[in-house]
Amino acid sequence: MVAKPIAVTAKPLSERVHWIGALDPAMRTFDVILRTPNGTTYNAYAVRGSAGVAVIDTVKEDRAEQFFASLESIARYDEIRAIVLNHLEPDHSGALPELMRRAPQARLYISESAQLMLKSLLKSDVAYTPVTTGDRVSLGDRTLRFVHTPYLHWPDTQCTYLEEEATLFSGDVFGCHFCDERLFNDTVGDFRFSFEYYYQHIMRPFKQHVIEALELIEPLELRTVAPAHGPILRDRPRSYVARYRELSTPRLHLDVQSAEKTMVIFYISSYGNTQHMAEAIRDGAQEIGGFRVSLYDLEGAETEPFVDLVEEADAILVGSPTINGDAVKPVWDLLSSFVKIHVKGKVGAAFGSYGWSGEAVRMMDDRLRGLKMRVPVGGLRIKLIPTGEELERCREFGREVGGFLVGRQTTRVIDMSELLAS
Amino acid sequence: MAKAKIKFADVNVTVTVPVGTRIIEISEKVGSYIAYNCREGDCGSCMFTVTEGYDNLSRPSEYEKATLLEGYRDIIEGWRNAPNLESLEAALVRDNLVGRKCRLACQTQVYGDAVVAPLGS
Repeated sequence: MVAKPIAVTAKPLSERVHWIGALDPAMRTFDVILRTPNGTTYNAYAVRGSAGVAVIDTVKEDRAEQFFASLESIARYDEIRAIVLNHLEPDHSGALPELMRRAPQARLYISESAQLMLKSLLKSDVAYTPVTTGDRVSLGDRTLRFVHTPYLHWPDTQCTYLEEEATLFSGDVFGCHFCDERLFNDTVGDFRFSFEYYYQHIMRPFKQHVIEALELIEPLELRTVAPAHGPILRDRPRSYVARYRELSTPRLHLDVQSAEKTMVIFYISSYGNTQHMAEAIRDGAQEIGGFRVSLYDLEGAETEPFVDLVEEADAILVGSPTINGDAVKPVWDLLSSFVKIHVKGKVGAAFGSYGWSGEAVRMMDDRLRGLKMRVPVGGLRIKLIPTGEELERCREFGREVGGFLVGRQTTRVIDMSELLAS
Repeated sequence: MAKAKIKFADVNVTVTVPVGTRIIEISEKVGSYIAYNCREGDCGSCMFTVTEGYDNLSRPSEYEKATLLEGYRDIIEGWRNAPNLESLEAALVRDNLVGRKCRLACQTQVYGDAVVAPLGS
């Protein structure tokens, strides 16, 4: 599509608060991973108090012109007393160096966990004040209070709350990529799809952190939620907060009314050998008991529903034959989808039958470890058709992983040379 | 070469290692859930607790101490009042807030037998 120039001016949220962000309607891919059919906005805000102006977030560097034009329409640079960055990613910090050059008297406030990142981004030392939950900045008759909400979706992220107006500048939280110059959620087009998509791709891996952040956000009075991307939520802002709560609460344990652990075993098999291994492993794991075991054939299945299963599983086992020195594509499709969810700390294990060299199992093992899963038992490889004795090894493998899952692991003593050789 | 035994309590695996080996060289290979991020002592992701044999590990550098001090923040309120890492750790252990003293797995070398576990395990 052709980008047409957009006349941008600051837009009021209230008498004292203005949107001074930038529109990017032509963007179609964001951060490599996100599709943005409606473009996006980089939302920055200005808050005027009796003792000065605060600027909250900036915009992507190539949109700085829009941002400065909007800012100049409502404030002079020498009035700026505070600059707050809720999140240092370049789409919000891009205009920061220039803003600090134009308003050298302004104090920069960033979250405590943003300090190292700031140095890496600016490649120079600047003065700043690190802040955390409960810290305040006074603008005279307006007060900013910080809420530390780490890992939404970077370690540095925070929200800034304007106490007198019950407005939460939430950074990427509650945001979405949806460009509509009407700006407010009660006037823009239907952006529900974008809101859900953004959560699924940006916030979902950090569900536990979302819940921790909601504990801090839910008690606040909320007249407006002003995120760093997409529509400003002034009409029933609390419904978006409630949606985050819903999306972040685990489902399976609610459905089956049980806190029992679950093990999921995925396999794909060309001649049935890896399948026989998978079945024997399941049988072994069943013997341990105390958790639910499920077996799934990856062949011909969609990856997406399996990702939902994995998200709530406690142990994930993956089996693949080795074909041309590698695990097969459906397995990698599954394993690469784990990036969208939180798997760190879950129990993992790999297995597979092979004909010549059997590299697949070790590669899957490495991937599971790379995802920071706990891999208590090294992958199990069996050459071609498993014998009765080898099927017993599979059952033992299932018992070992299952035993580890329920905390009944066997004690192992090994030499480092074995580790390096494996 | 002198050897030492390092046990990862979360996976119940004991590894015999040459003295001087860093924990980071082995923990991932045995599947222990010590999580790494920067791998250079800066981020604090790989903080772990020492259950036994604290004195059999290399002493923390000033650099590691600074990261540990920062890392303890997640565990305890009021950390800012502690004048230094030693007094903070003494208070933490005394009040049973962490149970054991912590180290960074990317920095710590094994000099003698010790038992370690990821934070919160």
